Amino acid sequence: MAEFEKQSEQELEALFKALRDEPEEPSSDLLARVLADAYEAQDVRTAEAVPEPAPVAPQPARRGGIRGLLDMIGGWPAVAGLATATVAGIWIGYNPPAALDDLTLSVMESSYSYDTSLGSMLPVYSELLAEG
Amino acid sequence: MTMPFDADSELTDEALLALYASGNRGAARTLTLRLTPRVLSLSARMLGDRSEAEDVAQEAMLRLWKIAPEWRTGEAQVSTWLYRVASNLCTDRLRRRRGVGLDDAFGEGVEPTDEQPRVEERMQTTQRATALREALAELPERQRQAVVLRHLEGLSNPEIAAVMEIGVEAVESLTARGKRALSALLKGRRAELGLSDDG
Repeated sequence: MAEFEKQSEQELEALFKALRDEPEEPSSDLLARVLADAYEAQDVRTAEAVPEPAPVAPQPARRGGIRGLLDMIGGWPAVAGLATATVAGIWIGYNPPAALDDLTLSVMESSYSYDTSLGSMLPVYSELLAEG
Repeated sequence: MTMPFDADSELTDEALLALYASGNRGAARTLTLRLTPRVLSLSARMLGDRSEAEDVAQEAMLRLWKIAPEWRTGEAQVSTWLYRVASNLCTDRLRRRRGVGLDDAFGEGVEPTDEQPRVEERMQTTQRATALREALAELPERQRQAVVLRHLEGLSNPEIAAVMEIGVEAVESLTARGKRALSALLKGRRAELGLSDDG
């Protein structure tokens, strides 16, 4: 039995050798196809690896008119402050505080020493007549 | 980016695969030339059909290209992985063939049909190779896979175990049963193949 198996093994080995001696060489066409696949897979990955432009944050729609102006200066709170300052400015203009009046006078008198009375501001009537 | 083939030839399959994954064209060429013949050889011997074997070889290599970026170093041999993919693809095809009844033409002891002629006038080596190819086609897929990997592709039993994802003992069992079946299939052709005078 062992002898039979040994013979059988040797015979099979002779057959295996015969088949090994007939190598299956890839054709150039197959190699070209395999390489083309390789390059294509590389190209696909390279294309995927290129970073896409960063997504642009959506810009708020531009608003015109009063709404746009409001946005520019900071909204309604800013408008309230602006209105207060305006009213205060007008009030001071019409009714300046006494301290401010004194200050103005003292500055003007020390800087300019000319007559500010109404009479000095008008031309002399007799001179106008003389010129005709 | 590319480098000559010779410069790469010293590198391992794994190193080349990493280079390939980084976009190196030279590594693609080297791996193609190095691995395609092995995959084709295995496929041709498992399928016994050159055209189908080429399709399998291309498909197996394509899967390698696709998995390259995710390849985890040191986890498996590239060649082992590739043999596994190729032999699984072959097994799928063999099962599909069986599904459409093509294997029915090759019952035990039945002579090959005209599609696979025994060419009497060829040299003995060719006769033997042809006879073995025919006999291999008769084996169950797993036995055929183990026998081809062991005796035609020259893999060790542990390597085959890794390819087939089974234990070494199971590999030994499959190859032993496969060889016994081959002997039985070829028994009547020993004289014709120059193996014995008393055939």
